[in-house]
Amino acid sequence: MKIPRLLQVVLIFVGIYVAFKVVFGFVLGQPIPSSLLTMYMFFVVAGLFMVFTFTDESTRELVAPIKALVEDPARKPVRNVVFIVVPLLAGAYAFNVMLPDFDAPLELRSIHPAPPSTVKIYDQRYDLSTLENPLRKFQKDDPQKFRLLVAEGAEVYIRNCHYCHGDKLDGNGPYAQGLNPIPLNFQDIGTIAQLQESFLFWRIATGGPGLPDEGAPWLSAMPVWENFLSEDEIWKVILFLYDYTGHRPRTWEQE
Amino acid sequence: MYSATKKVSAIESGGRDRAMFKRDTLLGEAAPVRGHHAPGLVMLIATLGASVPSIAQPDAVSRTVEIYAQRCSGCHGQEGDGLGPAAERLNPPPRDFTLGMYKIKSSGFDEYLPNDEDLLRMIRDGMPGTAMPAWGDVLSDQEMADLVRHIKTLAGYEADEKPSQQVEYGTQVLGSADSIRIGRELFLERDRCSECHGKDGKGDGLKSLKDDNGERTWPRNLTKPWTFRASNDPRDIYTRISAGIAGTQMPSFADPASDKVLSSEERWHVANYVSSLAKTDNVVRPDNTVVKAAKLVGRLPDSADDPAWEQAEPSTFFLVPQMLAKKRLFKPTNDTISVSALYNEQEIAFLLEWDDRTQSIPGDENAEKIADGQIFEDSVALQLPLDIPSGTEKPYFGMGDPTHAVNIWQWTSGTTDEPEQTSLINARGIKDIERRDAAGAGVQATGTYQDGTWRVVINRALATANPRQDIQFLEGRFIPLALAAWDGSNGETQSRHTMTSWYWLLLKSPAGSRPLIVALIVILAIIGAEFWWMRSASRRRRQ
Repeated sequence: MKIPRLLQVVLIFVGIYVAFKVVFGFVLGQPIPSSLLTMYMFFVVAGLFMVFTFTDESTRELVAPIKALVEDPARKPVRNVVFIVVPLLAGAYAFNVMLPDFDAPLELRSIHPAPPSTVKIYDQRYDLSTLENPLRKFQKDDPQKFRLLVAEGAEVYIRNCHYCHGDKLDGNGPYAQGLNPIPLNFQDIGTIAQLQESFLFWRIATGGPGLPDEGAPWLSAMPVWENFLSEDEIWKVILFLYDYTGHRPRTWEQE
Repeated sequence: MYSATKKVSAIESGGRDRAMFKRDTLLGEAAPVRGHHAPGLVMLIATLGASVPSIAQPDAVSRTVEIYAQRCSGCHGQEGDGLGPAAERLNPPPRDFTLGMYKIKSSGFDEYLPNDEDLLRMIRDGMPGTAMPAWGDVLSDQEMADLVRHIKTLAGYEADEKPSQQVEYGTQVLGSADSIRIGRELFLERDRCSECHGKDGKGDGLKSLKDDNGERTWPRNLTKPWTFRASNDPRDIYTRISAGIAGTQMPSFADPASDKVLSSEERWHVANYVSSLAKTDNVVRPDNTVVKAAKLVGRLPDSADDPAWEQAEPSTFFLVPQMLAKKRLFKPTNDTISVSALYNEQEIAFLLEWDDRTQSIPGDENAEKIADGQIFEDSVALQLPLDIPSGTEKPYFGMGDPTHAVNIWQWTSGTTDEPEQTSLINARGIKDIERRDAAGAGVQATGTYQDGTWRVVINRALATANPRQDIQFLEGRFIPLALAAWDGSNGETQSRHTMTSWYWLLLKSPAGSRPLIVALIVILAIIGAEFWWMRSASRRRRQ
């Protein structure tokens, strides 16, 4: 038995919609945002329309059931039901759309905003494009001393940073849930692995309030660490962050 | 208490020897035989390695020591003595493994040694409400099993030693209205549980508790199951009631020597009751960031017990300790706060509710006895921007910034000499603070404390005569809102407090008739189109 072409269109549309929901929502665990899904489905409808109206013949076949519904006197009871249900559904949809929206406004922010070329930290001006971790050289020159510096960095971290960024450096410390935006996950390949040590120095020393406007400085709960830690301690904790996660800081040489 | 005291003295004599034993073996020196847990680590491996294939080989031992040093020592200390660098900034404090005593265990009450599964579970799943994370996603099963063995040797136990007694579960009584009722009676009977956990289970018993190391402990607020170190499954609760919590003042109620002993069946009733205490309507919902104020016709409530509050929808947020400015708070006691709001044509009213185990009244003898150190007043504060932002830019959430001022309304609970007080601050950052007259600006607040919960109501007019200094509330606008709370019995005062980040306040404007009118227009338009289509179709047929 041949499936009517109109039903085919509906089945394909529903099938793709369900597939999007199942694959992204359940299999991958990352549901598609509804606005994006609406856009995708628009392209699906456009594509279906093009394929199913490719020839005059196929177009006629597609709309035949709809034409018959309106024009065939034998279908009058079905038509009457459809003609009552459709406007009611549309009305209900319009009513819901017009209800006031209580969802919080979206707050877009740049997670890694471009740093200023120079920053003032500890009453000293630093050029971030040339600034390097003064302790990094020990990794090659004196591995034993380097291990010691990393251990000291670990101590700074566990006494100050783990509350939000977590024992596992995964951004899930005991107070992480109470913060918006949530603390950065250093294990994630998209965070410190993409950054230079001077960037981290700037972010740690000047904290949330040191962000440019596109980083939403009014939201970030990152403290201004120059008020609590010495310059040396910040460089040590940076050594620790890379050591513990196994990431390597980006340097100019690589690029 | 009860048998717990007996156990403590037993540990004091054995603990030191065990600690020394452990240090020696770790350093790889010849292990002098001390205490009754005699064999050295090397010998142990030799004997066990032969019979059980999965047992740690020397390489695995050094690997385990390495994992311990990397993952555990920051809190629990290189020596396992619970004195890692973070220890002094944590409450509860990290476990001192050299004591060989563990809070969450399922072995019998007369036994220190836990089951391996108890230790494994705490490592794998972590301990909610503490700094102990779940390591299950980082460490392999074998690594965690090796850590369990290693931790036991830190206390001088043999790595494969098993407890001789287990918690007896009897026949589980399933939760039912009857069981919960009986459980409640037993909970309250002769102040059995309520002595520490309070009448409603909010941990507000009038008792100052310390663990065996003298560290302050706070009885569990049983209405907040997300802070339970294990879970609030009745079986877990039954285990705690039966085994007690070693090293703390939570005794075993299975111990026949206790004058408050319970039978197995009775313990199931209490477990079912405790499990039923979870206050699910006060749970933090991460997707809810908006406090929605409903509009009332007529009078707004000016007290917490006004039935009008039932029309408000409470939003609950996490409180986190203040760590932005000196002095910081590291050991908070308040962890969540609920906000409700109502408004009418003239006014707005907020209801702030949070569980606090202690009503902190400086000067009051009982309150001072429970307090941890010097006592201060309890307090709560509500922060709002002076100007409602039109874009995304807001004042800095920590008391504003030079270009964006905030209004802070603060209520303090009062002392034996002073009544409760409402104050008003305009701030542009922590160093630019202007104290203003709250009554003059129309901010009124009043609080009541009952059974472990503070309820504070704050009222103000929507508009004031001073728009350059006071926020002017507007219907339908998203207004940033942040909160702070102080537990004065926990040494919290001034900058030492808990707080939230920015959330939103929305005065819900009534929908009015617009949606209905639009819906009717849409319906009529479609019906019109349908008629036109049918008529043109029938005209074509006639032709």
